[in-house]
Amino acid sequence: MTLATRTNGFARSMIRRAALAVAAIATLSAASVQLGAQEARLLAIQDDATRSMVRDFIEAARARGTPTEPLVSRALEGVAFRATAKRIEQAMVALEERIGRSRELLAPRATVDELAAAADALANGVPASAIRDLRKIAPYRQITVEIGVLTELVAKGVAPKKAAVMVRDLMARGATGTQLTELNAAVQQDVAFGVTPVAALELRGRGVMSLLSPSASVNAAIRP
Amino acid sequence: MGSLRGKLSHTLGVRREYVSEFDPTLPVRAKHGDEQAFIGIVEFYYPRCLRFARNMIGSEQDAEEAVQDTFVRVHDSFSRFDEDSRFDPWLFRILANRCRTLMARNRRRQSLIEYGEIPISASAEPEVGADWAEEVQVVLNSLPMEQREAFLLRHVEDLSYEDIAAMTGVGLSALRMRVKRACDTLRARLD
Amino acid sequence: MIEERDELVDRAARALSAMSPVKAGAVARVLMAVRASKVRPQPAWKRSVRWLEDASVSARAAGMLVAASLVVGFVLRGTVDVAGYSTQALSETPVALQTISDAGAESRGVPVAMVFELANAKSVAVVGDFNGWDPAATPMQRVGEDGPWSATLLAKPGRHTYAFLVDGSTLVADPLAAKATSPDFGGDASVMMVRTP
Repeated sequence: MTLATRTNGFARSMIRRAALAVAAIATLSAASVQLGAQEARLLAIQDDATRSMVRDFIEAARARGTPTEPLVSRALEGVAFRATAKRIEQAMVALEERIGRSRELLAPRATVDELAAAADALANGVPASAIRDLRKIAPYRQITVEIGVLTELVAKGVAPKKAAVMVRDLMARGATGTQLTELNAAVQQDVAFGVTPVAALELRGRGVMSLLSPSASVNAAIRP
Repeated sequence: MGSLRGKLSHTLGVRREYVSEFDPTLPVRAKHGDEQAFIGIVEFYYPRCLRFARNMIGSEQDAEEAVQDTFVRVHDSFSRFDEDSRFDPWLFRILANRCRTLMARNRRRQSLIEYGEIPISASAEPEVGADWAEEVQVVLNSLPMEQREAFLLRHVEDLSYEDIAAMTGVGLSALRMRVKRACDTLRARLD
Repeated sequence: MIEERDELVDRAARALSAMSPVKAGAVARVLMAVRASKVRPQPAWKRSVRWLEDASVSARAAGMLVAASLVVGFVLRGTVDVAGYSTQALSETPVALQTISDAGAESRGVPVAMVFELANAKSVAVVGDFNGWDPAATPMQRVGEDGPWSATLLAKPGRHTYAFLVDGSTLVADPLAAKATSPDFGGDASVMMVRTP
């Protein structure tokens, strides 16, 4: 028997209390939980100087109003890649700058996930104007998936402008995130078989386009 | 890969032989909506539940369905889980009920589509030289459902008679009798 | 009444105690079924055409799709996904079209089952955007004595880069997934796309 099924009542009561304590933590304010969780995660950074640098940077970023979750993530990514403290700091500086830029591009409002996705898009060479266009087309819903598809297309070698135009046009005609994800998958597969990225995008993009309403106007969709 | 010399490949099927220790706070956390805790419960108990369901039902596909249904019901019924009681018997009560339901459904189907055929479990004797585990399974399948269930809960899932009685609503002496008869049959057929 | 458990009954019980094979992705399928059971009718204005299309996908049919996706050994609950990747997803449970105002539903994440085989490793964890590259967040468990490593995690819809952290120090890209190069650190990682539920 792997589980202690013979646990007596007292032990069960203790377990229950411990579990309730965990559950109670979950009900605390989101901010304090996030702070505690972030601090705990920073303990994964074994080098004291690096951890101290990261902690200081995060606190300063929080004071500047930057969402800190993506920054913590980037710092830990750097640790996983065994980057130096200097490299990690540079990455956080660059990310905070891109998050600030993303916030402008995704105005008037954006979730942290969207900001992180847009920041990664910029880092991978997606044109800033493309991100702004996507937000205009879908001002009231999350576009994390759409930004992610665009990022992946560019990261895999599709010319940024062509990728941006295709994703924008498909979205404007009502393509769902699912359809765009499938488009991306098909393009990646074609590229793996030797088709050039641009040709694959044109081919697959036309296929998705044929399934969508022809009446929607791209210009109308992205008009401010 | 540097110093890592291991074989690197993905597999299609997974055989889970061992599970690490169970975090006893998981059920209460899951009850309070912690989905990661629920995942932990499923990760831990899925193999055991599948073992019980397969032993009970005999069909891999039906066993998977029973286990999946069980976890859906566990999730939906967590509000009724008494935090002061142990999780195992509660889970296995739901699982045993699902298995009974599926077996009843299968019996109805069988009576419709296999009319005239002799059910394998009713008459089969263990084949000479057959794998021991298969022999045991054949004999187990021939047991009445109540005996099979009681035997598996007691001797394979290692639940106490008190737990099984609470789960099934069957009296202790009747349960002991079911297990004894199952043991007697196994002994007579396997010896 | 004395229970008559002797050596033969012990042997029989041991034979029946062997764990059943668990298919990769089984836990993710369970979670998909759980979420499917949670779906309640939404006000008409919240529905989308896609919702209606997805609603026709039963949990069982979806489970079969997941099983089909296992040809690449890596499963993700959601929609059928990314043929060129090792990540595969399957049709999500029918839920209302996500909006920023109800992003909370989307923020739960989509269950992803991961399988990774590496002999000789003492420990493996999945690290990636979905868990903030936290090495303690998603430890993988060894399946069997020398089987693959397995874990189920929750990933929000979108593009995620990730890798396997072996023995707490060595980062290994998923050998069957699309490659991703970290723009900031230059290292090799993998990428997966998770669909909007």
